[in-house]
Amino acid sequence: MLIRRFLNRFKRQESPQDRDDLGILGILVFENTSEVIQAERVLKNGGWPIRVMGPPPGIQSGCDLVIEFPLMEELHLTRLLTDAGIPPLEVVPVNDPLLKPVDLFHTKDFGRYLMVRAANMKLTVDKETLVIVNVSGGGCPDVPYLAGLMVGQTLSNTPRPGIMGHTLCGYALKLALEEIERQCLP
Amino acid sequence: MSVTIDARGLSCPQPVLMTMDEIKGGSEKEIKVLVDSEASKENVSRAAVSQGCKVVDIAQDGEEYTISLARD
Repeated sequence: MLIRRFLNRFKRQESPQDRDDLGILGILVFENTSEVIQAERVLKNGGWPIRVMGPPPGIQSGCDLVIEFPLMEELHLTRLLTDAGIPPLEVVPVNDPLLKPVDLFHTKDFGRYLMVRAANMKLTVDKETLVIVNVSGGGCPDVPYLAGLMVGQTLSNTPRPGIMGHTLCGYALKLALEEIERQCLP
Repeated sequence: MSVTIDARGLSCPQPVLMTMDEIKGGSEKEIKVLVDSEASKENVSRAAVSQGCKVVDIAQDGEEYTISLARD
Protein backbone atom coordinates (compact mmCIF):
# COMPACT_ATOMS: atom_id res chain seq x y z
CA MET A 1 0.00 0.00 0.00
CA LEU A 2 1.39 3.33 -1.11
CA ILE A 3 0.72 5.18 2.14
CA ARG A 4 2.21 2.41 4.24
CA ARG A 5 5.34 2.31 2.05
CA PHE A 6 5.62 6.09 2.31
CA LEU A 7 5.40 6.00 6.09
CA ASN A 8 7.88 3.15 6.33
CA ARG A 9 10.47 5.62 5.13
CA PHE A 10 9.86 7.61 8.30
CA LYS A 11 10.89 4.85 10.65
CA ARG A 12 13.15 6.35 13.20
CA GLN A 13 11.94 7.51 16.54
CA GLU A 14 13.13 10.75 17.98
CA SER A 15 15.49 10.70 20.89
CA PRO A 16 13.93 11.49 24.27
CA GLN A 17 16.26 14.47 24.53
CA ASP A 18 14.81 16.10 21.42
CA ARG A 19 11.27 15.63 22.66
CA ASP A 20 12.06 17.03 26.09
CA ASP A 21 13.18 20.29 24.52
CA LEU A 22 9.60 21.23 23.66
CA GLY A 23 7.97 19.88 26.82
CA ILE A 24 4.94 17.63 26.53
CA LEU A 25 4.04 17.16 22.89
CA GLY A 26 0.69 16.74 21.20
CA ILE A 27 -0.41 16.00 17.70
CA LEU A 28 -2.99 17.66 15.53
CA VAL A 29 -4.98 15.24 13.38
CA PHE A 30 -6.62 16.46 10.19
CA GLU A 31 -9.08 15.04 7.74
CA ASN A 32 -6.74 14.98 4.75
CA THR A 33 -3.19 15.69 3.64
CA SER A 34 -4.17 18.93 1.98
CA GLU A 35 -5.28 20.29 5.35
CA VAL A 36 -2.04 19.16 6.98
CA ILE A 37 -0.04 21.03 4.34
CA GLN A 38 -2.16 24.16 4.80
CA ALA A 39 -1.92 23.94 8.58
CA GLU A 40 1.84 23.52 8.43
CA ARG A 41 2.10 26.66 6.35
CA VAL A 42 -0.14 28.67 8.70
CA LEU A 43 1.69 27.54 11.83
CA LYS A 44 5.20 27.91 10.43
CA ASN A 45 4.35 31.37 9.15
CA GLY A 46 3.34 32.15 12.72
CA GLY A 47 6.69 30.94 13.99
CA TRP A 48 5.34 27.95 15.93
CA PRO A 49 7.77 25.07 16.56
CA ILE A 50 5.80 22.37 14.78
CA ARG A 51 6.74 19.45 12.57
CA VAL A 52 4.88 17.24 10.14
CA MET A 53 5.23 13.63 11.21
CA GLY A 54 3.90 10.17 10.57
CA PRO A 55 1.17 9.34 13.11
CA PRO A 56 1.56 6.85 15.95
CA PRO A 57 -0.03 3.43 15.35
CA GLY A 58 -2.91 4.20 17.72
CA ILE A 59 -4.29 7.01 15.61
CA GLN A 60 -6.76 5.48 13.21
CA SER A 61 -8.68 8.52 12.07
CA GLY A 62 -7.66 11.31 9.78
CA CYS A 63 -4.94 11.22 7.17
CA ASP A 64 -1.50 9.70 7.32
CA LEU A 65 0.37 12.81 8.37
CA VAL A 66 -0.02 14.71 11.63
CA ILE A 67 1.46 17.89 13.08
CA GLU A 68 3.47 17.64 16.26
CA PHE A 69 3.35 20.66 18.55
CA PRO A 70 4.06 21.68 22.17
CA LEU A 71 0.87 20.65 23.98
CA MET A 72 0.87 23.71 26.22
CA GLU A 73 0.18 25.79 23.09
CA GLU A 74 -2.97 23.83 22.22
CA LEU A 75 -5.37 26.70 22.75
CA HIS A 76 -3.39 29.14 20.64
CA LEU A 77 -2.84 26.74 17.80
CA THR A 78 -6.37 25.37 17.58
CA ARG A 79 -7.76 28.91 17.62
CA LEU A 80 -5.33 29.96 14.89
CA LEU A 81 -6.25 26.97 12.74
CA THR A 82 -9.96 27.40 13.33
CA ASP A 83 -9.68 31.04 12.28
CA ALA A 84 -7.86 29.86 9.15
CA GLY A 85 -10.72 27.49 8.33
CA ILE A 86 -8.76 24.28 8.98
CA PRO A 87 -9.71 23.12 12.49
CA PRO A 88 -8.04 19.82 13.43
CA LEU A 89 -10.18 16.70 13.77
CA GLU A 90 -8.45 15.80 17.01
CA VAL A 91 -5.79 17.04 19.39
CA VAL A 92 -4.00 14.13 21.03
CA PRO A 93 -1.20 14.03 23.61
CA VAL A 94 1.75 12.03 22.34
CA ASN A 95 1.90 8.77 24.24
CA ASP A 96 3.24 6.64 21.42
CA PRO A 97 6.38 7.34 19.44
CA LEU A 98 5.82 9.23 16.23
CA LEU A 99 7.35 8.18 12.96
CA LYS A 100 9.78 10.85 11.93
CA PRO A 101 10.88 11.68 8.42
CA VAL A 102 14.54 10.79 8.45
CA ASP A 103 17.15 9.84 5.89
CA LEU A 104 14.44 11.03 3.62
CA PHE A 105 16.58 12.56 0.92
CA HIS A 106 18.62 10.78 -1.66
CA THR A 107 20.67 12.87 -4.06
CA LYS A 108 22.06 11.59 -7.34
CA ASP A 109 24.35 13.64 -9.54
CA PHE A 110 23.99 12.90 -13.25
CA GLY A 111 26.63 15.45 -14.22
CA ARG A 112 24.69 18.30 -15.70
CA TYR A 113 21.57 17.23 -13.82
CA LEU A 114 20.88 16.78 -10.14
CA MET A 115 18.12 14.55 -8.81
CA VAL A 116 16.74 14.65 -5.28
CA ARG A 117 14.39 11.95 -4.11
CA ALA A 118 12.23 12.67 -1.08
CA ALA A 119 10.35 9.57 0.04
CA ASN A 120 8.52 8.42 -3.09
CA MET A 121 9.04 11.52 -5.24
CA LYS A 122 11.93 12.50 -7.48
CA LEU A 123 12.76 16.00 -8.69
CA THR A 124 15.50 16.65 -11.24
CA VAL A 125 17.02 19.98 -12.24
CA ASP A 126 19.52 21.20 -14.81
CA LYS A 127 22.37 22.48 -12.63
CA GLU A 128 23.41 25.14 -15.15
CA THR A 129 20.03 26.73 -15.77
CA LEU A 130 18.24 25.60 -12.57
CA VAL A 131 15.32 24.54 -14.76
CA ILE A 132 13.27 21.59 -13.49
CA VAL A 133 13.51 18.89 -16.14
CA ASN A 134 11.64 16.05 -14.48
CA VAL A 135 9.16 15.20 -11.75
CA SER A 136 8.46 11.53 -11.25
CA GLY A 137 7.45 8.92 -8.73
CA GLY A 138 4.48 8.55 -6.46
CA GLY A 139 1.10 7.38 -7.53
CA CYS A 140 -1.12 10.12 -6.26
CA PRO A 141 -3.64 11.72 -8.60
CA ASP A 142 -2.09 15.18 -8.41
CA VAL A 143 1.42 14.15 -9.56
CA PRO A 144 0.80 14.65 -13.31
CA TYR A 145 -0.76 18.03 -12.52
CA LEU A 146 2.17 19.08 -10.36
CA ALA A 147 4.67 17.82 -12.93
CA GLY A 148 2.88 19.79 -15.64
CA LEU A 149 3.14 22.94 -13.54
CA MET A 150 6.77 22.49 -12.51
CA VAL A 151 8.66 20.95 -15.46
CA GLY A 152 10.26 23.69 -17.52
CA GLN A 153 10.16 26.20 -14.67
CA THR A 154 13.22 27.47 -12.84
CA LEU A 155 13.65 26.78 -9.14
CA SER A 156 12.92 30.39 -8.36
CA ASN A 157 9.77 30.57 -10.52
CA THR A 158 8.19 27.17 -10.05
CA PRO A 159 4.76 26.87 -8.47
CA ARG A 160 5.11 25.51 -4.95
CA PRO A 161 3.89 21.92 -4.54
CA GLY A 162 3.25 22.69 -0.89
CA ILE A 163 0.56 25.11 -2.04
CA MET A 164 -0.67 23.36 -5.18
CA GLY A 165 -0.46 19.75 -3.97
CA HIS A 166 -3.07 17.88 -1.96
CA THR A 167 -1.54 14.47 -1.28
CA LEU A 168 1.35 12.67 0.37
CA CYS A 169 3.15 12.83 -2.98
CA GLY A 170 2.60 16.57 -3.10
CA TYR A 171 4.05 16.85 0.36
CA ALA A 172 7.06 14.71 -0.57
CA LEU A 173 7.59 16.85 -3.65
CA LYS A 174 7.54 19.94 -1.47
CA LEU A 175 10.31 18.40 0.64
CA ALA A 176 12.30 17.49 -2.48
CA LEU A 177 12.01 21.02 -3.81
CA GLU A 178 13.16 22.51 -0.52
CA GLU A 179 16.15 20.15 -0.44
CA ILE A 180 17.15 20.83 -4.03
CA GLU A 181 16.86 24.56 -3.39
CA ARG A 182 19.10 24.15 -0.37
CA GLN A 183 21.67 22.41 -2.54
CA CYS A 184 21.42 24.59 -5.65
CA LEU A 185 20.45 28.09 -4.62
CA PRO A 186 22.88 30.49 -2.93
CA MET B 1 17.47 13.13 -40.64
CA SER B 2 16.52 11.78 -37.27
CA VAL B 3 18.27 10.43 -34.23
CA THR B 4 16.93 7.62 -32.04
CA ILE B 5 17.40 7.40 -28.28
CA ASP B 6 16.85 3.98 -26.82
CA ALA B 7 15.83 4.52 -23.20
CA ARG B 8 14.04 1.21 -22.76
CA GLY B 9 14.79 -0.46 -19.46
CA LEU B 10 15.83 2.79 -17.82
CA SER B 11 13.92 4.36 -14.98
CA CYS B 12 13.03 8.00 -14.59
CA PRO B 13 14.63 10.45 -14.80
CA GLN B 14 17.19 8.85 -17.12
CA PRO B 15 15.04 8.74 -20.28
CA VAL B 16 14.26 12.41 -19.71
CA LEU B 17 17.91 13.31 -19.20
CA MET B 18 19.01 11.46 -22.36
CA THR B 19 16.32 13.30 -24.30
CA MET B 20 17.33 16.63 -22.80
CA ASP B 21 20.96 16.03 -23.74
CA GLU B 22 19.95 15.39 -27.34
CA ILE B 23 17.65 18.40 -27.46
CA LYS B 24 20.38 20.67 -26.10
CA GLY B 25 23.44 19.13 -27.69
CA GLY B 26 22.24 17.54 -30.92
CA SER B 27 21.27 19.04 -34.23
CA GLU B 28 18.88 16.56 -35.84
CA LYS B 29 15.45 17.94 -36.64
CA GLU B 30 13.64 14.81 -35.55
CA ILE B 31 14.26 12.85 -32.36
CA LYS B 32 12.75 9.45 -31.71
CA VAL B 33 12.74 8.23 -28.12
CA LEU B 34 12.04 4.61 -27.23
CA VAL B 35 10.69 4.01 -23.72
CA ASP B 36 8.91 1.14 -22.03
CA SER B 37 6.68 2.71 -19.43
CA GLU B 38 3.73 5.03 -19.37
CA ALA B 39 5.49 7.25 -16.81
CA SER B 40 8.57 7.63 -19.00
CA LYS B 41 6.38 8.43 -22.00
CA GLU B 42 4.63 11.19 -20.07
CA ASN B 43 7.83 12.56 -18.57
CA VAL B 44 9.79 12.61 -21.84
CA SER B 45 6.91 14.28 -23.66
CA ARG B 46 6.46 16.87 -20.95
CA ALA B 47 10.18 17.69 -20.76
CA ALA B 48 10.46 17.96 -24.54
CA VAL B 49 7.53 20.35 -24.77
CA SER B 50 9.03 22.45 -21.99
CA GLN B 51 12.15 22.78 -24.15
CA GLY B 52 10.24 23.99 -27.18
CA CYS B 53 9.96 20.68 -29.02
CA LYS B 54 6.77 19.36 -30.53
CA VAL B 55 5.48 15.84 -29.89
CA VAL B 56 4.66 14.74 -33.44
CA ASP B 57 3.57 11.19 -32.71
CA ILE B 58 3.49 8.55 -30.00
CA ALA B 59 3.33 4.98 -31.28
CA GLN B 60 2.59 2.16 -28.87
CA ASP B 61 3.70 -1.43 -29.36
CA GLY B 62 2.71 -3.48 -26.34
CA GLU B 63 4.41 -1.87 -23.37
CA GLU B 64 6.83 0.10 -25.52
CA TYR B 65 6.37 3.58 -26.90
CA THR B 66 8.13 5.45 -29.69
CA ILE B 67 7.89 9.17 -29.12
CA SER B 68 8.62 11.28 -32.18
CA LEU B 69 9.79 14.78 -31.38
CA ALA B 70 10.47 17.68 -33.72
CA ARG B 71 12.46 20.77 -32.96
CA ASP B 72 10.62 24.02 -33.63
